[in-house]
Amino acid sequence: MSGFEISLLGFFVMLGAIFLRMPIAVAMAVTGFVGSWIIRGSPTAVLSQLKSLSYDLFSSYSLSIVPMFLLMGQFASKSGMSKTLFDTASDWLGHRKGGIAMAAVGACAGFGAVCGSSLATASTMGQVALPEMKKRGYSDQLSTGVLAAGGTLGILIPPSVILVIYAILTEQNIVKMFLAALIPGILAAIGYMLAVTVYVRLYPDSATKAERVTYGQRFRSLWRVWPVVVIFGLVMGGIAGDWNWAQDGVQALFTPTEGAAWGAAATGLYGLWTGGLNRTAIMECIRSTASTTAMIFLILLGAQLFNSFLAVTQMPQLLADWVSGSGLSPIMVLLIMLVAYLAFGCVMDSLSMILLTIPVFFPIIQALDFGMTAEATAIWFGILALIVVEVGLITPPVGMNLFIINSMAKDIPIQRTYHGVMPFLVSDIIRVALLIAFPAISLWLVTALF
Amino acid sequence: MQLATSAEALAGRELERIARALAYFGGVVLISFAVMTVLSTIGRAFVGLQIGLGPVPGDFELVEAGTAVAVFCFLPWCQLKQGHVTVDIVADHLPARVNLTLILIGNVLVLIVAFVVAWRLWMGFGEQVTWFSQPVRDMLGFGYKPFTNNTTYVLGMPLWYSYLLSFIGAAFFALVSIFTVWRALNDLLGRKE
Repeated sequence: MSGFEISLLGFFVMLGAIFLRMPIAVAMAVTGFVGSWIIRGSPTAVLSQLKSLSYDLFSSYSLSIVPMFLLMGQFASKSGMSKTLFDTASDWLGHRKGGIAMAAVGACAGFGAVCGSSLATASTMGQVALPEMKKRGYSDQLSTGVLAAGGTLGILIPPSVILVIYAILTEQNIVKMFLAALIPGILAAIGYMLAVTVYVRLYPDSATKAERVTYGQRFRSLWRVWPVVVIFGLVMGGIAGDWNWAQDGVQALFTPTEGAAWGAAATGLYGLWTGGLNRTAIMECIRSTASTTAMIFLILLGAQLFNSFLAVTQMPQLLADWVSGSGLSPIMVLLIMLVAYLAFGCVMDSLSMILLTIPVFFPIIQALDFGMTAEATAIWFGILALIVVEVGLITPPVGMNLFIINSMAKDIPIQRTYHGVMPFLVSDIIRVALLIAFPAISLWLVTALF
Repeated sequence: MQLATSAEALAGRELERIARALAYFGGVVLISFAVMTVLSTIGRAFVGLQIGLGPVPGDFELVEAGTAVAVFCFLPWCQLKQGHVTVDIVADHLPARVNLTLILIGNVLVLIVAFVVAWRLWMGFGEQVTWFSQPVRDMLGFGYKPFTNNTTYVLGMPLWYSYLLSFIGAAFFALVSIFTVWRALNDLLGRKE
């Protein structure tokens, strides 16, 4: 068997193992290990690599952003920010038909600005918004659908854990990736609100109107979301702002890791101040951070082993050569990849998908000519991949966000959630088409600032 | 027909206590290094004033070492709580016994990975230090003696500090994995409530 065939075999063995309920991290690690063993004829090379591999990976400076952002998200969900955001958004939007659902989208977007994970955003906002929508007579479909979809804003709007991983895998600048995600993230929020509008037109019984709130009251409540604005401004301004015009290039205040540390510390302080973070809550934050961090880093380790096996077989390079020589148009290749993400997204989690596919897809993308610089293509593709992977979180039958929301509203059958999320899926597809047609939507802010 | 269920329950309680303590330890490390980083950036902002404030020397080295230690200390907790991602859509359609068998196999694989990681990390730890004579080092799996203890670049902090703390986390990860295999096996054999 040639190296290429072994790598393909390895890929399918690993996928088979994953579908047979093997932990994804372990499926990748074991296949990668055994694969390298077969190719090299002995395990010595991998074993000696492993003496420092795990420590080196876990102690990488750029990856240290991940646990800090996770901690920040945990602190944020306990600090009461979600309630404040939702109340404020309700004051502004609640009097419209379906307004509370729009407010939930707005609050998710705001929460996404301090939280880098979709699941945390969905579950935190769900706790606040689900009871409120039920009380006001919103239909089960709309209220669970909007929250599942709104949760994906957590990862689209920076900071975003997946973008950090993508940037590290493809050796891109994390700050540029965050900037590129900002406008598509805001577009997503607007698109979801439009989807709510259309939905309540189609199903007028699914929502109600709340009473109009005076502008004085609206501005008073807007004032209360200052902590979110300050923390987001601190993190993003610190890592992406240009603080010294006299020198060339962007002179940022912080490295991304320092920004994440500031974010975690500031969110923690705010939580202590509001009293949301008492002793029990802090312990709970640490435990959830511990579990998620360990889960992510073990997958990273597995992916590292698997990808070094793929690299030895030269499969990614061979595949890239083959695709660029096959006469398929670049856009066609891109579409095939995005459809593959959508299909896999129905059953797999987003991080594992990015880790598995990027080492194979990225060389292909870089070998194709999209009429942009290599860096611009990398950023643009990263945003597209991120969005499509996130769509996977809300596509039936297996979308993590759907399950999270559904587990919080146990009396609602999951079929209603599946139904309710449809308009948001349509909005997602339209947005992806827009982003493919106009790369400038993602790239404009990056070029404007750098 | 099960293997020492009461002993399993006892081991589970004890391991949970240790894993929880390790997770808290990792969390405290993470939070303190976040605070240290914040202080360091504040210090750096005041460098120009010449009032004796500056960044914490080697702050990024501390963050690197701290992250590694924290992550290794988080691993046992995650494993004990079965926090690893699995795809259940296919397996959910299979009979319950098959599923329990798959979970057992999954736990055995985790144990293998955890053991290899801990074992290699121990050897990696040995390569950071000049301790012992060569025969003893060979026995411990420490490999050839380096000329000096490996240290970080700025602070000169010996790398074995963080390697050793990381190893403790990795070793408990392996230990917890043995327990989870045991637990999964008893689940398969059928648990009496």
